[in-house]
This record gives sequence, structure tokens and C-alpha cells, in this order.
Amino acid sequence: MKNTAILLLKAFLLVLVFILQPTAQAQEDFEPEEMTAFMLQVPHGVEGNGLAVRGGNLSAYLFFESYYEGNMDVILELCLPEGFVVRDTPVHSFSLQTEYEDWYRLIDFYIPQDLPSGIYNITATAVVDVDGNQHTIMRRTRIRVASKEEIADEISISGLIIPSDEDGYGDPSHPSNTLVIRETSPVLRKLLKVTDLQIGREELTSTFIGVEVANNGVSTVPVIVTYEILDIKTGEPVRAFKPAIMGMDADTFCYAALTLSPGSSSLVSLPLYISENAMGGNYLLRVKVKPTGSDWIAATQSQKITATSRKWGPILITFISALLGVTAVSLFFIKSKEIMDRFKTRNLVLISLFGTVSFAAINLPMTILWEMSHAIFGPFSFLFTGLFYEILLYMLIASLVVLIPKPGVVSLFMMVRFLLGGFITGSFTPITFITLSVSAVILEVMMYAAGITGKNPDPENRLRVGIVCGIADMVSGYTSFSVWMVLYRLFYSNWYITANILIDGFLYTFIGAWFGISLGNRLKKVAE
Amino acid sequence: MISARSIAEPTIKDTIIHRMDPRAKILILISTAFVAVTLDKPETMFLLFMTIISGFALARMPAIKLKTLTILLILLIWGTIYSQALFYSQLPRTVIFTIISPDFPVMGWLTNGGMFVYAEGLQHGAIQGLRSASILSLGLLMCWTTDSRDMLNGLVGLRVPYSVAFMVVTAVRFLPIIITEVATVITVQRLRGFNPKRFGSGIIKTSLNILTPTLSNCVRRTGTLAISIQSRAFRANTERTYLKKLKFSEFDKVVVAFCIFAAISIVIIKLLYNMYTSGIYYTSGLRPVYAIARGYL
Repeated sequence: MKNTAILLLKAFLLVLVFILQPTAQAQEDFEPEEMTAFMLQVPHGVEGNGLAVRGGNLSAYLFFESYYEGNMDVILELCLPEGFVVRDTPVHSFSLQTEYEDWYRLIDFYIPQDLPSGIYNITATAVVDVDGNQHTIMRRTRIRVASKEEIADEISISGLIIPSDEDGYGDPSHPSNTLVIRETSPVLRKLLKVTDLQIGREELTSTFIGVEVANNGVSTVPVIVTYEILDIKTGEPVRAFKPAIMGMDADTFCYAALTLSPGSSSLVSLPLYISENAMGGNYLLRVKVKPTGSDWIAATQSQKITATSRKWGPILITFISALLGVTAVSLFFIKSKEIMDRFKTRNLVLISLFGTVSFAAINLPMTILWEMSHAIFGPFSFLFTGLFYEILLYMLIASLVVLIPKPGVVSLFMMVRFLLGGFITGSFTPITFITLSVSAVILEVMMYAAGITGKNPDPENRLRVGIVCGIADMVSGYTSFSVWMVLYRLFYSNWYITANILIDGFLYTFIGAWFGISLGNRLKKVAE
Repeated sequence: MISARSIAEPTIKDTIIHRMDPRAKILILISTAFVAVTLDKPETMFLLFMTIISGFALARMPAIKLKTLTILLILLIWGTIYSQALFYSQLPRTVIFTIISPDFPVMGWLTNGGMFVYAEGLQHGAIQGLRSASILSLGLLMCWTTDSRDMLNGLVGLRVPYSVAFMVVTAVRFLPIIITEVATVITVQRLRGFNPKRFGSGIIKTSLNILTPTLSNCVRRTGTLAISIQSRAFRANTERTYLKKLKFSEFDKVVVAFCIFAAISIVIIKLLYNMYTSGIYYTSGLRPVYAIARGYL
């Protein structure tokens, strides 16, 4: 009887074991720390102890991921210390169905201004329900709340490198604190290929600013690094250095988020976009470091920078014109005998006398008048000086061509003027050389091509001569402005250059050439 | 006021500047022109300008020449200041006066946003004006201390074709005659009721009426002059002999060598520096060169 009872008890226990076995298996299989990932970052991005400024808005980052194959229900609660103002619900519940499914939230909170400085504990608790069994996982972190003054002592900008490479390191091959504003004409860019700076858009040039930020404190600090380029006098931001990109404000792109570990420093690079209407000059670069979640600037550093405008158009025109002038003069020196032999002695005498007249009637009075009219009328003096320099000069040139319609006559006339001006008034200047040589070459080529000079010359067509002289003078006028801008570092507005070229270069020249034909015809009668 | 004669005529004296070979003067002028357009540092530009101005003291220039130089320099520098005050396009810039308001009908649009006088432009114009002032001063010093015939000999000495030199000689020789003719024409015009000094149509009419009679005389003179020259075997022989032989003195050689060396060095240094600042070429070995360019040039 006793044995039977024992046997029955054993059988009952066995059945009980069989009945209860699956649950116990589940309880043994689910290891909360092994089968989940639970993360708490306060503020977001900080692993470890964070730092917050009083009066700042921060976000706590909660992340939960399942490594369990089955279903689980999670209730997650964020416990902030007393005094912290939560902007969002601190309790969230969710269900994760499969392995590697995750959930995350950013929970905003505010740290009041009057909260005492100190270290606060923050806890996040996750209650995981797996098949009716509840497991509790807890995460704790600490946040240090400090006043602005305390943080300002800990965060500093230890280095500013401009321009830098895309990693923020300085490049000795570029002058420090200098930006180069390049002309961004697509043709020129293809032609030159002189830059190793990245160019993101057709009309934008970009480079980088390297900023080294140091954290001398004991807490990890997430920060946002931004910059502004300011007018050095007014302190106003200069929009040409923060242009809209793809319809968005450049501030959307020009920042860096950084998490500074205690006692460390980090180097970040910020992109700098330069629009083509940016002007050269001196600016103030101001870099600002703000703790994440706060508009308060924890550290700032200003540095004077220089933007150098490199306009390749005028540089190339000056270079080509100088090369053209030197080549033309060299060719003339080499072939001087052949060229000069094409002219009779009386031709040479006539050219030199025309040169003398042009000098006596134009250059000599204009030595004073040109300067005086510049002093009185400023840049608008061209309306007056053009009467001499353009109308009278082209009357002489056109009449000389009517008298001697040979290729080379204009060049010789220009050469006599140049040398005479150099010997009498000392005007052996690079500008005079380049402008006169370009003018001579273009006039010679165009006159020959238009049939004004050459084998069967027709120098008496007023319209043709007027247009040829007008175009040639427009080209030499533009060249002259380019040379002034490049060699003499002078500035001229585009509208002024256009007005000068159209009125002085074409209109006055056309009028001069038109009347010059009549004058030439009258002189022809004298010669006959 | 200053006359054409005070600008055009040299003052012949026996000073160290006057005694210099005209070829040396031409070479110094060309070298200085290169240096003047290369420099950017205001202090160095001013030093160059003052060095050139000291040449006038060495040449013991008469008061009329110094007065002419002063007036020309003032006008030149003021002209540059004036234009740059209006067109200065660097930042920062402070508007001190509005000439054309951006809202002004038509002109505001034509000038692409108005026209202003900028304080920084005045300063920039004054600095950049030194560049032109240096070249002009040296050019005038050269002209005022050298006889034009010597200058032309110098040109031929520098391998300028003789025919060209001859044309320039002819031009120089006839310059006083043509100036006299121009003056006569102006007198005649005055007698006929023109006022050549009246601004506007007076000056234009006078200028236009000067050309016809003056050029007619030139055309008439050409035939006679050509026959006269040809009868003296112009272009008959390829080689020519000269009465006056030019010779470089030791002083000339030293000065020319120094100027050419300085000009070449400065141009190369600045070229390398500009290539560096433009991101075209850089090598660490040239750092001292970049430092010199940044600090002094």
C-alpha cells in the first residue's frame, strides 16, 4: 500500500513536470540583458555623463531593440529628476514582434534657469513582458547641470584653420586666413583647372573651415559648431558667403554636431560656400559653439580673414594683350627691313608728321587736360576727353589711311606716337604699350580683312571704316580697362566700362573716322 | 599755369642724372615700370616714389619743372582717388556721400544700384595713384634730363630699326614747328571770333579746325622733305655710322645692372607668391620667398 502511494506520487510529479516544462523552458531561455539592447542618452548623443546648461532644452534618447525571436511587450518609462520639465510623455509602451526590431524616441525636456547646479540622476526603466513573464531592465545616467559661466570656462575654441581640407586640417599650400574668390565662368574653369578646391555648383566655390574645439571639463558635452562671416565694420553677416543652396538657407548645411569627451579636443570642418558676387576685402570670421539644445553661445572666436578676388577674365586679357604686343613688336623688329621697304620715304615722312600733329594736337594738351578733366569730372571725364582721344585721333588715322592705304601704316603711326610720348612726356607706361599695340594689331587686321588697306584698297567707304575703327577701339578700350584693373589694381563698375566702350570706344570713334575720310580726301587734293 | 614748353623741353645741366647714358635711362625706366606694377605694399610703393622724386633733387631741376611735376602729380593722384572713391568694390566700405540713389529714376537702374563715394575708395585711390605717379615721375625725369637726339641715339643703340628712329627724329624735329603752326591757327581762329578756351563747342570747333590747315601744311612739306632726305642717301646703305658714339659709364652699368636685377627678382617673387595665393603652385622650399613677398612687396 505504501509502495503504491509512493508510485502514485512519483507519477503525479512526473505529469506535473511534463505539464510545467514549456514555461520553465521559456523562463530559462529569455535573458533580458542578452536578448535586448536598451540605451539611454541624456542629452542625445552622449554616452556617459552629460552636461546641460540651465535654461536649455534637451532631448533624452531612448532606444530599445529585441534580439528575441518571439513577441515581447515593453513599457518604458523615463524618470527625470525633480525640477526638470518634461515636454513629452515619459511613459511609452510598444510591442516588438521579431528579432532585431527596434524602437526609439527622443523625449524633450527643459532645464529651468533656477535649477541648482549639480549632478542629477536620470533613470529609464523597461518592463518587458515575454509570454506573460515580466522582466525589468534599468538604465541610469547622470547629467551635470551647470551655469553658463561654468560651461563657458570648460568649452573653448582652440584653433581656427581657414582654408582647411575636408577633414579640417590646414594646408600649407594655401595662405592662411585667406579666401580666394575665383571667377566661376564654366569656360574659364575648364580652361584653367587651377584650383584644387571643390566646386559644388556652377556659380559657387567652396572650401572648408577647420575648427578645433576643446572640452576642459569632466562631462561629455554635445555641441553645435556654426560660423558667420561678417562685415568687419558693421558686424552684419555677409550673405555672399552663405548663399542659398538648392533653395535652402546655407545655415542648413554650414554646421557641425560634435560630442566632446571630458578633457579632449576635436577638429571639425565646416563647409564654406562663396557665391560669385562676393567681393574681395577684409572680413570677420566668427565661429560659435553652442551646447546642443541651447541657443546660448558657450564659446566664440573671431578672426580677421581676407578674401582675394581673382578675376581671371581681365588677367587673361592682360596676359594675352601683353603677349600680342610683345610678339607684334618682336616680329616688327625681325622683319623691320621688309616692312619698312614697302613704304616710300615720303610715306614715312608723312606718317611721322601725322604722328607729330597727333602729339601736338592731342597728347600735349591732353597731358594737362586729361588730368584736369579727371580731377573735375572724375570717371565721367571720358565724355570730354573722348572728343580729343577718339574723335580727333581717329580723324587723323582715317585720313592717313586714305592717303596711304597700305597695311602697316596704322602700326607705324602708333609706334611714332608711343615713342614720341615716351621721349617728350615720359609716358613709357605698360598701359600705353599694351593698349597701343593691341589697337594697332586689331586695326591692321580688321582694315586688311575689310579691304580698307591691301592690294585693292577701298579706304573711302565711311561706314566700313567707321565700323572697323569703332570695333577695334572697343576691343582696345576693354583691353585698357583690363590692364588698369590687373596691373594698377583699380576698380571699375561693369556699367561704367560698358558706357565707356560704347560711347568713347564706338560712337566717338565712328564719328572721328567718318569725318576723317572727308579730311583725307581734302588732303589728297593738296597732295595732288 | 603750366605750358606745353615746360612739359616738353628738357633742361640741360651737368649732373649725375644728366650724364647718364640714354640707353641706361630707358632700361631703368622699363625696369621701374615693371617694379611699379608689381608692388602692392603701400610702404614699398611710397619708398619707390620717394626714390624717384629724389632723382629730381639730384638733377637740380628748375622750379618751373618742379611746379609742373607737382601739378601733374596732384592731378594724377586726385583723378585716381576720385575714380576709386566711386568704384571701390571691396569690403568693408563706408558710404560717405550718395551721388546717385538706387531709387533714382533710370540712373539708379543704369548704374546697377546707385553710385556712392566710399571712404575706403579714397584711400585705395591714393595708394594706387602712387603707382602711376612713380612711372610718370621717372618718365618726366628721363625726358627732362635728356636731349631728344640723345634719346633717339639711345633707341638705335637698343636695336630699334633705324627707319623707325628716323621717323621719330623727324617727328621730334618738326614738333616745335607744328606747335607754332597750331598756335598760329588758334590765333587766326580767335581773330575770326572763336573762343578756344570756352568749354564745350569752342574747344571742339577749335580742335577740328586746327587739323585741316595743319595737316595740309604737313602734306605739302612731305614731298620736299622726302626729296631732301633721299638726296642725302637715306636708306642707301644698310649700315650707318653715327657722329656721336654712346658709351656706358661704370656708374651706368652698376645702376642698370641693379635695376634690372631688382626688377627681375621682384617680378619673379611676386609671380611665385601670386601663384601660391591662387592655389596654382606651392612648394615649402619657397616659404622665405612667400614671406618676403607678403611682408615687403
